[in-house]
Amino acid sequence: DPGAVVPAPQNLSVHSANMKHLLVWSPVILPGETVHYWVEYQGEYESLYMSHVWIPSSWCSPTPGPECDVTDDITATVPYRLRVRATSGPRASAWSALKPPFNRNSTLLLPPRMAVRKDGSHLVIELEDLGPQFEFFVTFWRKAPGAKEHAKVVRSVGFPVYLGAMEPGAVYCVKARALVRAIARRSAFSQAQCVEVQGEALPL
Amino acid sequence: MPKPTNITFFSINMKNVLQWNPPEGLHGIELTYTVQYFIYGQKKWLSKSECRQINRTYCDLSTETSDYEHQYYAKVKAIWEANCSEWAETERFYPLLETQIGPPEVALAASEKSISIVLTAPEKWKRNPEDPTVSMQQIYSSLNYNISVYNTKSKRMWSQFVTNHTLVLSWLEPNTLYCVTVESFVPGLPGHTQPSQQCVSTLKDQTSTLKVK
Amino acid sequence: EFHFGPCHVEGVALLELWKAFGAMKDIVVTQDKIMSVRLLKQEVFQNVSDAESCYLAHELLKFYLHTVFKDYYHKVVEFKIMKSFSTLANNLFVIMSKLQPRQENETVSIRESAHRRFLLFWSAFKQLNTEAALTKAFGEVDILLTWMGKFYRH
Repeated sequence: DPGAVVPAPQNLSVHSANMKHLLVWSPVILPGETVHYWVEYQGEYESLYMSHVWIPSSWCSPTPGPECDVTDDITATVPYRLRVRATSGPRASAWSALKPPFNRNSTLLLPPRMAVRKDGSHLVIELEDLGPQFEFFVTFWRKAPGAKEHAKVVRSVGFPVYLGAMEPGAVYCVKARALVRAIARRSAFSQAQCVEVQGEALPL
Repeated sequence: MPKPTNITFFSINMKNVLQWNPPEGLHGIELTYTVQYFIYGQKKWLSKSECRQINRTYCDLSTETSDYEHQYYAKVKAIWEANCSEWAETERFYPLLETQIGPPEVALAASEKSISIVLTAPEKWKRNPEDPTVSMQQIYSSLNYNISVYNTKSKRMWSQFVTNHTLVLSWLEPNTLYCVTVESFVPGLPGHTQPSQQCVSTLKDQTSTLKVK
Repeated sequence: EFHFGPCHVEGVALLELWKAFGAMKDIVVTQDKIMSVRLLKQEVFQNVSDAESCYLAHELLKFYLHTVFKDYYHKVVEFKIMKSFSTLANNLFVIMSKLQPRQENETVSIRESAHRRFLLFWSAFKQLNTEAALTKAFGEVDILLTWMGKFYRH
């Protein structure tokens, strides 16, 4: 019915993990009609200094589905106001606003996935690439009574990073946690992974 | 008469060279060019005598733009006989942000099972060879390095982030060629740097040669 | 993080500010036709002490956010650079909000020294017509970020 009002989207919420933020809402059902959604956002600066200003989301102006990846829009650690409306042809619904506003410092930080290897007698780690805001606090130790724990902050991801030299016949263990300075938070440690060096030291 | 085109500064280690293309449609004609530059915030365009009515399509303005905390403009016009073109002007040039940091000097010394790496930051451009040397490290105090080590035999690579200038790679494989790539970067600054790569072979394992004897 | 003397600010990656400004710089700076005037002259930042830096950073950022960014927004829309502008504005807002310069009596002379530096900038800003001043000030954010970068610890 061309005259019917388009209902506003409901149940807005943000699912955020590892600094990836997905805005979701309940779909608007209009039998026989194609519905699109438009997402806009406002940071704290806009809210305080120019509250009339809303910025179209990078990827959802418009979007067909009832969700929107707003990761590229949320680029500061301040509360962001987000709003969505539905359209069908020329008709548009009212805006629905996310309440309360979203701040990326509430993202869920998960322990990082890592691969620990030995290259000859070198202990090497490879960490998953979670994006430019991530650093990793890595600790490693020789599995022996009274052994000292070493620590290193690793910034390169996606390829192996040298941790240290290993002594023959020893077992070395590694664990890591993610650090995000932009929100001044860190994840829990990953499960420790251990590697054993055979008797004779095999060079790299 | 059309203007010169694509006028830009090409800058590496604060050596700032203005370059441009000849005006379109005038190939084969004997043109000359005149260059002027402007220090942002000051009052007038300044000339460089060595770049007045020149044939080449570049002009080294390193001396004139050596204060890297200033910003600059430059412009060039083409001259042919009694005719001359309009000025073609650069964008605002900011040496501190726009100069490329050249590759560091990498000294490698290998033994049987280790390689020592000594890094030296590149030098800032200087007018005369006798002038005192200024390291790019003095300009960008937080200049860091990312070192990647590649074992050409096992085809394996790993990297390491270094803030000082020396690193010793130990427990390596004798008689093996390792390639070391060094990339410098300044945290918190956009900018592009040039990596440098060198390879060195670890020495033969003396103990095995003794056994052979 | 930033260490403006006693004022520490976490939670802002300087590189993100540079990327945001870099996406706008060419459009904005080419609008500035007055080459003979530089608002953030070298004297504004020459030999700023650590103690002064917190006051000067706060005062400059407050002016930029309250006046320059707000009144320049119509151009931002015209040039279609709202996204980069929003990133820059909100991150500078975080820094300004976290700078809490002390106001005790013994800091009067430092505050006045920082304020004199700010007035060097502000008086040059006032001498231009509003549109030209806003364009020039926004185009000089790279000078501001360069100075702030000297207090950035990675």
